[in-house]
Amino acid sequence: MIELTEKIRDIAKKLLKDGTVDVFIGYKKGSVPMMNEPVLIRNPDEADLLYWDSNCGLNLCNYLTGRTDRIGILATGCNSRSIVTHIIENQIRRDQLYIVGIPCTGMIDHRAVNRAVGHREITDITESDITFTVTGKGFQETFNKADYLQGNCKVCRHRNPVEYDEMIGEPVEEQKGIEPYSDVKNIEKMSCDDKNAFFRRLIDKCIRCYACRNACPLCYCPTCFVDESRPQWVGKSIDPTDTMTFHLLRAFHCAGRCTDCGACERVCPMGISMRQFTRKLNRDAEELFSWQAGLSLTERPPLDTYRSDDYNDFIK
Amino acid sequence: MKNLLEHTGLEPGRLHFSWISSAEATKFVKVAKEVSAAVRALGPAKYLVKRRAEVV
Amino acid sequence: MSEWEPKIITFLCNWCSYGAADLAGVSRFQYPPDFRIIRVPCSGRVSPKLILGAFRHGADGVWVSG
Repeated sequence: MIELTEKIRDIAKKLLKDGTVDVFIGYKKGSVPMMNEPVLIRNPDEADLLYWDSNCGLNLCNYLTGRTDRIGILATGCNSRSIVTHIIENQIRRDQLYIVGIPCTGMIDHRAVNRAVGHREITDITESDITFTVTGKGFQETFNKADYLQGNCKVCRHRNPVEYDEMIGEPVEEQKGIEPYSDVKNIEKMSCDDKNAFFRRLIDKCIRCYACRNACPLCYCPTCFVDESRPQWVGKSIDPTDTMTFHLLRAFHCAGRCTDCGACERVCPMGISMRQFTRKLNRDAEELFSWQAGLSLTERPPLDTYRSDDYNDFIK
Repeated sequence: MKNLLEHTGLEPGRLHFSWISSAEATKFVKVAKEVSAAVRALGPAKYLVKRRAEVV
Repeated sequence: MSEWEPKIITFLCNWCSYGAADLAGVSRFQYPPDFRIIRVPCSGRVSPKLILGAFRHGADGVWVSG
């Protein structure tokens, strides 16, 4: 991990010095362990702030929207797919970007680690290849990284960036034999009332802080539908109906665009698994339109084009 | 649209889509009857109806 | 009202289904009276927001027809 960090710093310095980019977007160590923050580096001297380990779960693509300068950006598999989505949605031009690809072996689920240490305060985390060690007051525990991956990383099929100008390190092997949508299938088997109850319980804790929306690279509308007041599409209360409407509409807005980067779940202060909404749409996009978001710069997304063989079984 | 709503527990007969040309009055009537029958069979909606604040 | 009657919010395209509904009326075809028809310039305009809005306000069913 540390050698990758060194490489990122070197590349960022080089790019900023020779003027290839005006700004470099990467991660820095957060003020709290396991919470690395995005950082925008403008000056080569600041490049030593950059950091890389398995706690870089936020999506850097968020910081690209509508920028007019030249940008260097660090991209894992899902980040690079979000960048591609941004490019085909005309939020950024490809020639503005210098994409530094980085192979990713998955991000650590900080909630699972906190549960594993009984919610004692963790003050430091160090990482080797396949294990990581957390330290706190009076304890130190080592875990296997594979057991504590984020839910989306466990079922990830695109660990290597799909689009990049330069690659740091060797591409990692993609995970094989994973069943990407087993949880969705389980829900599909439930009865109508059970599904309703499942999703009601799921969003029961939601406090409508919109952290999921803010962390999402796809949510770049200048005014979000939840903030519109004429007409007001959705109430601002935590009434279950309002919450459900918010989550449903948020998910619909991500249909065919979501790369399952897991940023929404990672930032949720209440630990809600809102990926259950978007994943159903991802699965539909894949099964009905053979589409996975952000894999190609030339193809248009399914909701953007008309084909005479489009799925239309639901129309009478 | 329909798929996700049903995934989260909306009854399948509540939401209908159809494609009817302006000359197809008979098809309109046929589909109208189907839609009405489907919704009647389900009874009043429970899902996602915003309740008025209860006044004590 | 002794018996429950469903309210079905119906979004009809001005050029297609609204015409069909009109023609059905002119031709004196009988069909159930449960529909609250909203005429839209194009059914492509009907977004998930509108459909969820209808359900939120207590619609028993929603029918979108183009």
